[in-house]
This record gives sequence, structure tokens and C-alpha cells, in this order.
Amino acid sequence: MNCSVVRKRLSRWLDGELEAEATRRLETHLATCAACARRARQLRAVSRLVSELPALPAPESLAASALDRLDMTRRPALGFLFRSFSSARPFILPSLVPATLVVVTVLAGVLSFDSGPLPEVHLAPDGAWGATPALGTEGNPVFPSDGIDLPRETTSVQLPTDALGGNGSVFLEQLVARDGSVADVTLLEGDATDTASLVSALRQQKFEPVRYRGRPVAVSVYRLISRMEVRSPRT
Amino acid sequence: MGAGEIPLEVEALAGPARDRELVARCRGGDTAAFASLVSLHEHMVFNLAARLLGDGEEARDVAQEVFLQVYRRLGRFEGRSSLKTWIYRIVVNQCHNRRRFWHRHGRDREDPLDERLLPPKPPGSRLPGPYEQACAHERARTVQRALLALSFPQRSVLVLREVEGLSCEEVAAALGIPDGTVKSRLSRAREALRQRLFGLLEEGDPS
Repeated sequence: MNCSVVRKRLSRWLDGELEAEATRRLETHLATCAACARRARQLRAVSRLVSELPALPAPESLAASALDRLDMTRRPALGFLFRSFSSARPFILPSLVPATLVVVTVLAGVLSFDSGPLPEVHLAPDGAWGATPALGTEGNPVFPSDGIDLPRETTSVQLPTDALGGNGSVFLEQLVARDGSVADVTLLEGDATDTASLVSALRQQKFEPVRYRGRPVAVSVYRLISRMEVRSPRT
Repeated sequence: MGAGEIPLEVEALAGPARDRELVARCRGGDTAAFASLVSLHEHMVFNLAARLLGDGEEARDVAQEVFLQVYRRLGRFEGRSSLKTWIYRIVVNQCHNRRRFWHRHGRDREDPLDERLLPPKPPGSRLPGPYEQACAHERARTVQRALLALSFPQRSVLVLREVEGLSCEEVAAALGIPDGTVKSRLSRAREALRQRLFGLLEEGDPS
């Protein structure tokens, strides 16, 4: 299986939609091709970033105004039946009950997504170092979540804030290796006038190795670096 | 029935049974049943519209329009899909119409969503500090901007799949398009988003 075929199939692979044989061949390729493995990691991060968008709760007045509009469209015929409805206020309190249920369900869904099994369902089981980089190694890092803490910094570095460009912030991914060193820094968004010095400063950071189920694991951390970090807020 | 009464016993039912009961009551002119239908789905409707349009005010408008449509078309709801799946489709169609309207009227501006309302759960059990909140806020804005750069069909497939958590089959049912189309759109949408969010990587990559 060559790179272009693999890349076309990555999305289906992430969804678990590939057949067993195709899955095996794709994972064999990922184990040997760093570029495709990186791309797979980025696609997984994309899915994760979208699915982690915060739930935007409906404005409180939404139900009331929807009912108001319905009421208006019906008024010519049945208005007298729904007069008390035009205020619609009485519906706000009772509707909070199901609304809360919905919010709780959504939150529970989000949380369980977070703590549930990571989507790497095709990976070899713990200990069997199969075709795909094992979960928690640098090739396939975990994300901070319920059982996995954010790595704690042991060697801090002075970040060159002058390197930050126009809007003064960059969004990046920092890959903390199993030994607590920084294996990779990926600039995701924002402009830096001096990317090299920012990246090299971030690469010198050291962290306490993160452990998961007793084993040190590589962790991928998303960070927003801004002038806020060293300067007082704008006045 | 008085204005304040909500048929809570309907909400205790689950799935198809609840849908059938709610739909039957709404068709019979039971406004309280409709209020209960609205409150069951308003968060999904608003959230989906907000993610598809990238604009909170417009999403609110569309959400109201969606519920009017739901009410008017309930007579045509056949119960072959779940009520929720049926509503997904109305939301996506309304948002699509709204975007076409913007396009015709030369509107290309969005009021960015207020992402600060519900930041994602922070790692560990600590409460999010202002810094974490700012990060989550900035991240959500970045992702939402990238989403808006996708074509509408790609965006709707991706949002239904990743935000609403539907399976590919459910997305196909909600949009009334073939399964294979969902998968190829999903693949292209993810790749486009990857290039947008990680595009900097390839250039600035030291390795």
C-alpha cells in the first residue's frame, strides 16, 4: 500500500470503517512511514478538536420566542385559546427541567467521550508492540484527559515574547516524550516573527514524565502562548 | 389545559414511543406538547445552527424558524426516522438557505460566537483558571474559523459526525444522501481542516 492510497483511507480508518485486511495493511504502512503516521495523528487531532468544541447553550428566551412566533401564526383562528400563551413566561420555568436534562446529557456525553476508550481501537493490545506505534509512545501520544494529567514543568524557560507576531499569540501542539523532554513542537495558528527561537525555547522545556496505568506515556499538549504569559494585561 | 402545564409523562418515555406521543399530541393542537418538544430539542437546534453559521444571532433566528417549520410539517412526519434525525435535516436545510440568502445579499460577515460560555472540561479535576479558559476560548475560535472555511456540505457532514456524534449511517439518514457520499465528504472535510489547522507544520517543521 503506497502513501497516496493510505492517505485516502485514513478518514475511514479513523472511523473504523475499513475491513480487517485493509486495516492491517494500512497500519503496517503507518508503522514504517513517519510522514503518513504524522498525518494520521493530525487527522485524529482534527476530529478531536471539532468534537471538543464547547456546547453552546440555547439562549434562555429561545423557547419562549419560538412559541410566541407560533402563537402569532395561529392567532387568527385560535388566538383566544392561547391568549395566556402570548406572554409565554410560564413556560420558562417548567422548560428548565428538560433543558437541564439536555445540558446534563450533553455534558455527560462530552465527559464520557473524554474518558472513554481513545479511538485507537485497531491498535495492538498493551505490551504487544505491534505494527502501529503503541498508544502512549511518541508516535502515538495520548491527550490529557480524566486519567492523564497535564505534564508538570520541571525546567522552565524564558519564552522570547518578542518572537510573537502581530496579534501576540500562537496556538501550538507540544509533544512531551516519555522521558519528560519535548519531542516535537508544532505551530498550529498565529504568526511568529521568529518561529525558530520560540520553537527552540519550547523544546528546551522539561516536564515530569506523565504516567498512565503505571507506564510513562508521551502526551500531546495544546497550548496557547501569548504576551499575557509574561506581561501584565493591557491597560 | 393551562398554559403552565407540561406533559412531563411524555418526557419520561424514551425514543420512538416518546416521539410518537409528542407528535400525536402536537398534531392534535396540544401547545404544551409542542412546548415540550421545543425544550427537548432547542439546545441541539441552536448549537447545530450556531456551528453551521458561525453566528449566534442568526442561529437564534434560524432556531425559531426551525421550530415553526417543525410545527407546520409535523403532519408529514412519517416516523421512519427518529424525530431528532428529522429535525437535524430541517436545521441543516434552514442554515443552507440562510447562507444562500447571505450570499445573494453580499453579506460575508459573521459575529463570532461567544465561546466562553461552556469551556470544555479541563484536564484533571481542577477548576479552569482564567488562563485555561482563555486557551479553550481561543482554541474554539480557531476551530470554528477553520470550520467556516469549509464548503457548506462538508461542514454539515463534519459537524453532524463530530459535534453531534452521529454515525456515518445516521448522518446519511439525516441529510438524505448516500452513505458513500457522507464518507467521502467526511474525508475531504477532515483533510481540508487538517491543512488549515496544521498547514503551518509542514513549512515550519524542523525535522
